[in-house]
Amino acid sequence: MGGVLTIVLKRLGLGLFTLFIISVLIFGAVELLPGDIAEAVLGQGATKENVQAMREALGLDKAAPVRYFEWLAGAVTGNFGVSLISQSPVTEVIAPRFANTLFLASYAAVIAVPIAILLGVVVALFRDTLFDRVANVLTLTSISSPEFFLGYVLILYLGVKTGMFPSIATLNDNMTFLELLHRTFLPALTMVLVVVAHMMRMTRASIIALLASPYIEMARLKGTPGWKVIVKHALPNAWAPIINVVALNLAYLITGVVLVEVVFVYPGIGQLLVDAVTKRDFPVVQACCLIFAATFILLNLAADVGAILTNPRLRHPK
Amino acid sequence: MNYFVIGYYALLIGASCTAAHFQSRKAFLLLFSLTLVSFIVGIVGGESALWTITVFAGVIALCVGTSFAFREFLVIVGWGEFSKAMKTAPLTASFGLFIIGTYAIAGVFSPIIAPYGEAEIITSAFAPADENLLLGADQLGRDMFSRLVYGARNTVGLALVATILAFLMGAIGGLVAATTGGWLDQFMGRVVDVIMSVPSLIFALLLLSIFGTGVTVLIIVIAIIYSPRVFRLTRAVAGNVVVMDFIEAARLRGEGMWYLVRREILPNSTAPLIAEFGLEFCFVFLLVAGLSFLGLGIQPPTADWGSMVRENATLISFGEITPLFPAGAIALLTVAVNFVVDWMLFRSSGLKG
Repeated sequence: MGGVLTIVLKRLGLGLFTLFIISVLIFGAVELLPGDIAEAVLGQGATKENVQAMREALGLDKAAPVRYFEWLAGAVTGNFGVSLISQSPVTEVIAPRFANTLFLASYAAVIAVPIAILLGVVVALFRDTLFDRVANVLTLTSISSPEFFLGYVLILYLGVKTGMFPSIATLNDNMTFLELLHRTFLPALTMVLVVVAHMMRMTRASIIALLASPYIEMARLKGTPGWKVIVKHALPNAWAPIINVVALNLAYLITGVVLVEVVFVYPGIGQLLVDAVTKRDFPVVQACCLIFAATFILLNLAADVGAILTNPRLRHPK
Repeated sequence: MNYFVIGYYALLIGASCTAAHFQSRKAFLLLFSLTLVSFIVGIVGGESALWTITVFAGVIALCVGTSFAFREFLVIVGWGEFSKAMKTAPLTASFGLFIIGTYAIAGVFSPIIAPYGEAEIITSAFAPADENLLLGADQLGRDMFSRLVYGARNTVGLALVATILAFLMGAIGGLVAATTGGWLDQFMGRVVDVIMSVPSLIFALLLLSIFGTGVTVLIIVIAIIYSPRVFRLTRAVAGNVVVMDFIEAARLRGEGMWYLVRREILPNSTAPLIAEFGLEFCFVFLLVAGLSFLGLGIQPPTADWGSMVRENATLISFGEITPLFPAGAIALLTVAVNFVVDWMLFRSSGLKG
């Protein structure tokens, strides 16, 4: 097991390092502004005194590396500074919205993951039939459509025309869990459609690649029944790619959520990010970007570690 | 029961029987399962549901027919290699080529095709469709159809320029990295890793919040975000081809670097590169559309599909499908490109294995 542990630790270290580089990138990008934040936000009409006052308030008179480490230390302890527009602490604004986004993403994931893996295996078993071809065209269409197209089609047919689901996903505090699920069904379904298509294709590809390998042929030739070939011979080797597929798509869910949230006016972190970008509220933009990037890297990391841990060849070294 | 319903089932059952008689298994299964589905849907949804099925089937049949005719057309008109390739192409590929061709024509000749200017206000806001306004008017009273046609020029044009720029940057970087190697190769590889570890939409939003929204900024930002994919592919493909025996042979013949790239490396890497160009275009196009939809892409009054969806989105709650036209235009082009790319990938993998 020693070998596996070192590999996992190395991978974790690499992930942390990437995150560090990205935090430098996110911080450094704002430093690239012509002039500085104060001038950019206040505009050309601002008096010198105003700009100077804002610089002092933001601590812009210190050198960039000093401010970076202050920002990073704050970010690690959950303090992202103060919003330039609303003057309230960024963390207070983000926390409830991030929880909402996580809820929506996990809602979609709970529906999508089992369906996608099941369908992916079925499609792989029936490959090169009419069913496979139709599934191929449908998944390709779903992947290629922008999220807002799927979202508006669902709103039109399931929301407005039949009235089965509410087309705007606003939340309030005194909603029961069932109401919440009903209210957020359409945004979740939009993401499910995209993610299922992606996952199905990837699962199909990885299973087909496996079924072509010689040891599967061998198992078939010695007369093992079909289901046993899949369960005993194919699946142990298929876990790694499947876990990879799941983690990659969860990472996609976290970021693909931005457009879906805007379509359904869902109070999540994606919508917050878009608002902050339009208003040029840099502390909020930085915090949102860092959270998104961290989640994305974490999930990719989880994919890699999962692949290592489920790889029989690595678990039982010769 | 009226004539439509009777005719509907008579036609389906008759067609299934004919298919069964001629031992055509696939056609029979398709037609008969459609009949069974219609029974259930017809009972639940009534006659209107059957109409929907009919319209859907008609649209699909039209698409299949067009693709088939277009494939035959390309086989006859095409020359040499291309004509031969088209003979074995799946219908989806020729459908994709047909759609891409249509969009290209709409983009190039948009001032001739569009009946009105893209920013021309001609009637009241949200005016319904009539014989002058094919798809009605938008939120300011501009002709929706004309704006769609101009959008083919603006949106697709911008995505195309950004893709070409990303491709040039990535390909040149990849070739340089593959041929020089050493620390430069390592350094470029790490930079690419970092760019690819941030989700592209988030990265784009970060950069746009800093540099503001303008067409030039947009193109450069998107090119930077999407060049790493090309870089990796070019580096891998070029790296694989460079070590082949025929390159060694050409080197021994005394051929120069330019000859090697042009006559030996490029012909052996075109298929994956063209497929990658198509895929890359899809990603870029969807990102441009998404940014425009968020109000951070091409700025008004320029006609652009993403912002057209955003501006007319309120109509959806009145049950109007107007905002779906630009969104559908985006989806249709991406699907078409993907169909062609799928075929290209299949061909390149088929040739290899």
